[in-house]
Amino acid sequence: MVSGVSIHRIIAPTHFQHQHFHPPNPTSRRWKQKSTSGIRCCKKVEERLRTEKNYYKLLGVSVDSTNKEIKEAYRKLQKKYHPDIAGQKGHEYTLVLNEAYKVLMREDLRREYDASIGQLRFSFGRNIPDLGFSTWNGPFRPQALFVDENACIGCRECVHNASNTFMMDEALGCARVKVQYGDDDTKIEVSVDSCPVNCIHWVEKEELQVLELLIRPQPKQGHGIFGQGWERPKNVFMAAKAFNKQQKHEGMHHQRNGNNSHRIRSSTTGEEETPAQAEARASASIKLQMEKFSGIWSWVNEFLRH
Amino acid sequence: MEEQAYTVASDSDTPGGEKSSSTFPETAIGIDIGTSHCSMAVWNGSQVELLRNTRNQKLMRSYVTFKDDIPSGGVTNQLSQEYEILSGAAIFNIVRLIGRVDTDPIVHASKTLPFLVQTLDIGVRPFIAALVNNTWRSTTPEEVLAIYLVELRTMAEIQLKRVVRNVVLTIPVAFSRFQLTRVERACAMAGLHVLRLMPEPTAVALLYAQQQQQNVHDNMGSGSEKIALIFNMGAGYCDVAITATAGGVSQIKAVSGSTIGGEDMLQNLMHHLLPNMDSLFSSHGVNEIKSMGLLRVSIQDAIHKLSSETSVQVDVDLGNGSKISRVVQREEFEEVNKNVFEKCEILIQQCLKDAKVEAEDVDDAILVGGCSNIPRIRNLVMGTCKKERIYTEMNPWEAAVVGAALEGAIASGVSDPFGTLDLLTIQVTPLSVGIRADGNTFVPIINRNTTMPSRKDLIFTTVHDNQTEALIVVYEGDEQLVEKNHLLGYFKITGIPPAPKGVPEINVGMDIDTSNVLRVFAGVLVPGTQNPVTPFMEVRMPTVEDGHGWCAEALLRKYGSSLDLIMVQKKMQQ
Repeated sequence: MVSGVSIHRIIAPTHFQHQHFHPPNPTSRRWKQKSTSGIRCCKKVEERLRTEKNYYKLLGVSVDSTNKEIKEAYRKLQKKYHPDIAGQKGHEYTLVLNEAYKVLMREDLRREYDASIGQLRFSFGRNIPDLGFSTWNGPFRPQALFVDENACIGCRECVHNASNTFMMDEALGCARVKVQYGDDDTKIEVSVDSCPVNCIHWVEKEELQVLELLIRPQPKQGHGIFGQGWERPKNVFMAAKAFNKQQKHEGMHHQRNGNNSHRIRSSTTGEEETPAQAEARASASIKLQMEKFSGIWSWVNEFLRH
Repeated sequence: MEEQAYTVASDSDTPGGEKSSSTFPETAIGIDIGTSHCSMAVWNGSQVELLRNTRNQKLMRSYVTFKDDIPSGGVTNQLSQEYEILSGAAIFNIVRLIGRVDTDPIVHASKTLPFLVQTLDIGVRPFIAALVNNTWRSTTPEEVLAIYLVELRTMAEIQLKRVVRNVVLTIPVAFSRFQLTRVERACAMAGLHVLRLMPEPTAVALLYAQQQQQNVHDNMGSGSEKIALIFNMGAGYCDVAITATAGGVSQIKAVSGSTIGGEDMLQNLMHHLLPNMDSLFSSHGVNEIKSMGLLRVSIQDAIHKLSSETSVQVDVDLGNGSKISRVVQREEFEEVNKNVFEKCEILIQQCLKDAKVEAEDVDDAILVGGCSNIPRIRNLVMGTCKKERIYTEMNPWEAAVVGAALEGAIASGVSDPFGTLDLLTIQVTPLSVGIRADGNTFVPIINRNTTMPSRKDLIFTTVHDNQTEALIVVYEGDEQLVEKNHLLGYFKITGIPPAPKGVPEINVGMDIDTSNVLRVFAGVLVPGTQNPVTPFMEVRMPTVEDGHGWCAEALLRKYGSSLDLIMVQKKMQQ
């Protein structure tokens, strides 16, 4: 028998690590399976986890939800599942709920989490409606409204018919969706039908963000005083398709790299990550994403030139 | 009326098993056991009602007298005069003494109490005794609390005309888990089943959540989030909590607490007016006890008066030739207790910091507890929270017990058609829990102010080649010195496959459920997988019995250098 029986820590905890021990309650097996492996653990199950253990889905909020929305959803779920109310069987659920809440409420953790699930979040678009992103009234629906501003002639018909849904961008002289489902369904239908150039489209919810991003006019590089100005994709739907393809490609690339780096981390380092390091890493991942953006833009420009 | 005799059950075991395994048929009763006073309340179907004793008191003194053969507590006992509880026959300040060892400074400070508190400074339970027929009769804090709880229980059963078994007790934030087990044991001895032990300010937070919910219903306003700071200071303890409330959910952001209270102010002023007090009363003779009691009563009176007056005349004849006759100014009182007030301010600042809340963001500053009338405390709370006034919708004496009764009704599964009980409190852990590792470092696994329920785990490894066993020593606290934290227990994991040091992966996990039960899991993993080599160990903490200093020392003696008491530098990031 060895004399020294003390042990020391080798791996710093992260919020992504989960229990490896057997849960006290046999009914909890379902949750345990869902969370046996963390993002750090670079296992094949990662892919499955992404779809199953999604914090956004757990809380029933959208990926671009604000802290206030997350808080409300969290409280609502707590009132249903907290062990004080649901009894001991709520224990495992509440554990995951608390974890999800903690991650999504802290900007740095949320960014890291978003990156880990391959989610792109335009958090800056939420609070500044001028940037052209629409907000949602009520729950998410599979379909969303989108105005192809290239086609819009600025007739104001839609704004007139559904004033809570559409708005007029006076600077650009075209209409835009302000709030998804801001009016009742009949009003929206009437306004869509009333468009003389049929530039109001029903699109998939998932496509909406990219479309709204791409339709925003971007400053154009000029030479001297010539060629300067603003531009946007001529066919925004085509551009969006290409954007998504690129995004997917980048995501896969990123994930592969991520896995490699995690493997190296966990096998070579015994040091814990300091908050400063964590922050640096978080900001680095943001920068990476930003670079990705500019890459996309140059690509979009390329696309337009041809 | 049929009189049921309740005797104290054997001091054998704490009630085990799941605490909230099913819905409870009876509504649990809320009890606020304070250092000086105690109260009891229950949800009566439409609102919370405070129970009164036969003398129509809602607030009962917390003490037990051992005058005759049958001990009697402050619930039923009619005091002929205040001095009676100071005759040496009564044990009080139980909440300050329970679950503490004789090396604890709080226990040493309690030696100025009229009954006998003896310490041997070896880290075991102090010797406590009451003077019965000129004999020191020994007892324990748990026994005293149990006797008191039996009286409370009998009183409630007579009034409610039903058996009372389930209770929600409020406790100070500063209580260690070991102290909590002592409270649970006292309840078990009194035949009570503890549904929840609720930190006092969080009970107040629940009441606040109910009031806010009520306001929303009345005004049809929007249920926007409100942040409240709750400052609770009684005779024995001072607690702070910050809660974010919306839609009847009280989400505790952070708590902080310390063993300071009115008792400390009383002792400071006693020492100030009678500097040689300790040597004067050290022998604990009958005459000394009497003068000690006289001094205590008159100074207590003086402090109460200083809340409304700026100066007070203290006249006390201690009987042994020494007399105190002088005027005490409020400023003097505040100067003498400067350190107490400073500590209060630190607690508030710390709580704000832990909750990541700015003083400007606090919507309401709530002040409750026996010390809430002290002008300096009021100013201090208003000043630190940058508020013009204190929240006025609460009775400072009753807030905690009403909150406990609300929690009792919720945890019992009572629902109210009017939505008055549509409430929830989301608690946090008041202290970090972790293990000793990295030499003698306290490594927290679950940090303090983590939302409950919580589960975290860390991977550890061996420090010796071919090490086959490892000792898991579990501590609670936030001190860097491992020895300054509370030892909760220890166990050994065996069957580590022989390997060079640093290779085996030992997983230590902790799980705290909403009843604040702590389970520690540990085991060896096959490297690179999630599979355990041998079955995992699951240990419910705390496992240490009375005292703990010598447990750690015994481990040190047995296992040598690996238990050196060296400071901790690194703390886990949140």
